[in-house]
Amino acid sequence: MKVFLLTLISCGLVLIVLNAGYYREWFNAKPSQYWSDFLKEKDDTGDEVAVKKTRYGIVYTISMRVKEVVEKKKMPHAVILFEPNSYYRDSLKIYGNIRAPEPAVFYYYTGLEGVWTNSPDVRKANFIVRITKNKGVTLDEIKSPQQLQQILDGFKKYPPIL
Amino acid sequence: MPMLIFLFLLFCYWFSGFGILTLFRIRLRPAYMVTVGLLLGVAVASFVPFLLQLLYIVITGPTVFGALLAVALLLNIPSFLRMRDSGFSVFTRPFGRVRFRVRPYEVPYWLVIGFMVFVSVWRCYYLPPTSRDALSGPETIAEYTVREQTMINSFFGLDLWSTNNQFKSPFLISLQVIYKLAGFPYGQVWLSVVFLCFTVLLYHFLRERLHPVLAGLLLLLFMMTPEIYAYTFMILYDYSNMVFFCLGLYFLWMGVSGPGRAGLPGRAVGGVGGSDGLPRDGSGSPAMVSFAGLLLGIATYIRSETLVLVVLFLPVIFWVQWRGAAGGGGKVSEGDGVKVSGGVVLRKMAVTGLFFLLPSLVGYYLPVQLYIGHYLPVHYDLGGLVNNHLSDLHPLLQRYGDIVNHLLFGTFAIHLWGYLFYITCALFVAELVFVRRFSREARFWLYAIAVVYLALGVMGFVLPMFNLTETTKRALFKIMPLLVFYLANNELLLRLSRWIAGWEVSGGEKVAAAGVVGNGAVAPKVVPATGRPGAAGAGGKKKGGSGGGSGSGGGAEQSRGSASARKKNRKQ
Repeated sequence: MKVFLLTLISCGLVLIVLNAGYYREWFNAKPSQYWSDFLKEKDDTGDEVAVKKTRYGIVYTISMRVKEVVEKKKMPHAVILFEPNSYYRDSLKIYGNIRAPEPAVFYYYTGLEGVWTNSPDVRKANFIVRITKNKGVTLDEIKSPQQLQQILDGFKKYPPIL
Repeated sequence: MPMLIFLFLLFCYWFSGFGILTLFRIRLRPAYMVTVGLLLGVAVASFVPFLLQLLYIVITGPTVFGALLAVALLLNIPSFLRMRDSGFSVFTRPFGRVRFRVRPYEVPYWLVIGFMVFVSVWRCYYLPPTSRDALSGPETIAEYTVREQTMINSFFGLDLWSTNNQFKSPFLISLQVIYKLAGFPYGQVWLSVVFLCFTVLLYHFLRERLHPVLAGLLLLLFMMTPEIYAYTFMILYDYSNMVFFCLGLYFLWMGVSGPGRAGLPGRAVGGVGGSDGLPRDGSGSPAMVSFAGLLLGIATYIRSETLVLVVLFLPVIFWVQWRGAAGGGGKVSEGDGVKVSGGVVLRKMAVTGLFFLLPSLVGYYLPVQLYIGHYLPVHYDLGGLVNNHLSDLHPLLQRYGDIVNHLLFGTFAIHLWGYLFYITCALFVAELVFVRRFSREARFWLYAIAVVYLALGVMGFVLPMFNLTETTKRALFKIMPLLVFYLANNELLLRLSRWIAGWEVSGGEKVAAAGVVGNGAVAPKVVPATGRPGAAGAGGKKKGGSGGGSGSGGGAEQSRGSASARKKNRKQ
C-alpha cells in the first residue's frame, strides 16, 4: 500500500514538473515535437542528401545547386564569391529567409572553395552567387579581374557578417 | 555492419575504462564500473586519432580501430598479469554481485526520462550536425580527415576569416572521425553514449543519498534543463566537458572525504596509503585524488579553460591534507601515531597536488600548445585576445552582474535552465535559515559552484571573446549538475528523504514522526555501497546519516532489515 502511495506521489510529481510554467511550453515544443518528428522520420526512405536538405534548409539547397552547375561547367578550380549577408539584410531585406554560407560551411556541404568579399583569397574568385528578389539565385561567371573589382566595389559598404 | 563496429567500439571503450579504473585500483559498484568505464573509454578514444595525427600516422579504418584495440589491451596489462593468479575472475569479479531491482515508484520517472533519452538518441543518429560551431570547424575537419586520411587537410586552405572553430580541441574531431569510419555518416552517436552513461550515473549518485522518489525528481529537473538537453544531441564540447568536470569533482570529493563520511559508492579503493593527510577510512586516497585529476584533465582537453577551474580546487586538497595531518606546522602526528614534520607534510601536499594537476596540464598542452602551435598550418594568437585594460575592474563587476541578471535569473535564464536554479536557491536559503549549517559535502559543492561562477566572470573579463550569451552560457553547463549534487546534500531534502524512507519501511506513526526530525535514530540508516550501515555522516548531525532510505544495489533490503530489527528490540 505504501509503495502504491509512493508510486502515486511519483506520478503526481512528474505531472507537476511537466506542467509547471515554462516546462510545459518547452516539453510540448521540444521533446514532444521531436517525438512527432520521429514518427515521420522512421518511415522516411530519403537518402543522406534528402535528410540534409530538410535539416539545413535553403542554404544547403543553394549550395548543392551551385555544385551541380560547377560540375556541369567542368571547372576544376572554381572559387565561389558570396555576396555579403549585410547586403541581404540592409538592401534586399531578405536576411531572415536566406543567407550566404560561411566558406567553411560551404566547403562542408559541397567540397568547393568559397570566399567572402573581405577574404585574402578573394582575387581567386571566378564565380559569384547572386540572389535577387526577382530572379532568385544565379551563378555568374567572373570573367576578368576588372569585373571582380567592380563587384567588390559595389559591396564596399556591406561588410561580411555571419 | 555499422552496428557491429558500434558494439566493437563499446567493447573497446569499456575495456579501456576498466583498465584505467584497475590502474588506479578503483573498484566501484557494477553500475558505476560500467558507466564510468564507458565514459573513460570515450575519452581514451578521443585521444586515439589525435595521437595518430601527432605521430603522422595515416588515419584510416584499420589504423584507428587497431589503435583503439591496442590501447584497450595495453591499459589492461596489469589485469592480464593478475590473470595468472586469479584467472578470468579478474574481469568478472567486479560484476559478481549485480543486483537490479526496480521499485514501482521509480517507474514514472524512468518513463519520462527514458522518453527524453530515446528522442535524443534518435536525433543524434538520424540528423546531421547543425550547430555553426561544429560545421565551421571540427565537423568539416573530421569529414575531410576521413577523405584525406589526415587531420591537417584541405580545410585549412580555405578562407577561415569568419571562424576560430578550427582551433578547438581535437576531442570532437577524433570522435567524429571514429564514427564516420564506423559507417555512421553523421558520427555523433558517441554523444548518446556519454549522455546515457552520465544520466545513469547521476541517478545512482542521487540514489546513494536520497530516497528514489526524490532522486528521480532531481534527475527529472536536471533533464528538463532545456539548454543542456539540446546539447545531448548537438555535438559540441560543452556537454562532454560538463560530464567529465562533474565526475572529476565527484571523485575529488571521494578522494578527500572517503565513503565513510560521504556515503559514496566507492566500495574499495586501493591507493598507496600513508602519510599524505588524506582520509584513510575507505576510498579517500591519493590514488582517488589522482583519478579525479585525470577526469578533470579530460575535461581540460575538451575545453581548455577548464584548467583555470582545476587549479582553483588545489586549495581543497591542501586544506584537507593539512588538517588531516596536523592542522599546523611543526611536529605533527599521523593517523598511525608516527610523528612527521610540517616539511614532510608540505612535500606530500606538493606531490598530491602535482599528480592532481598534471593531467590537466597535459590536457591543456597537447591540443593548445603542441597541436595548434606546431602542427596546424594556421596559428592562433591567444595573447592578442587578452584584455589590455586589466586594471579597470568595472567590466569584471559588470560581467558578474550580467551572469546573475541574464544567465541565472530572469526569463532568459528560465528558458536556458528551467527552474533548477530557482529551486536550488530556495532550498539553499531554507537550509541557511532553518538548519543554519551545511554539511561538509554540501559545503564542497557550494564551493564548487562558487568557483565556477567566479572563474567564469574572470575569464570573461580577461578574454573579451569569452562572451556572455554564448561562451559563458555554455560554460555554465558545469554548474548545473553541481546544483543537483548540492541539492542531494541539502539537509532539508535529506530529512525529507529519511522521513519517506522511515515511513516506507516502518509504518508506525511514531517512527515516521521521529524520522521527520531527522535525528536518524529511528529512520533507517543509509546503507552506502560499503555495506557499512550508518556510515554516512554528511548531514552534519552527530547521529544523522546523510542519505535517504535506500542506497542503490540493495540498500533498501538492508535498511528494511535493520529497521525491523530495531522494532523488535523496542518490543523486547
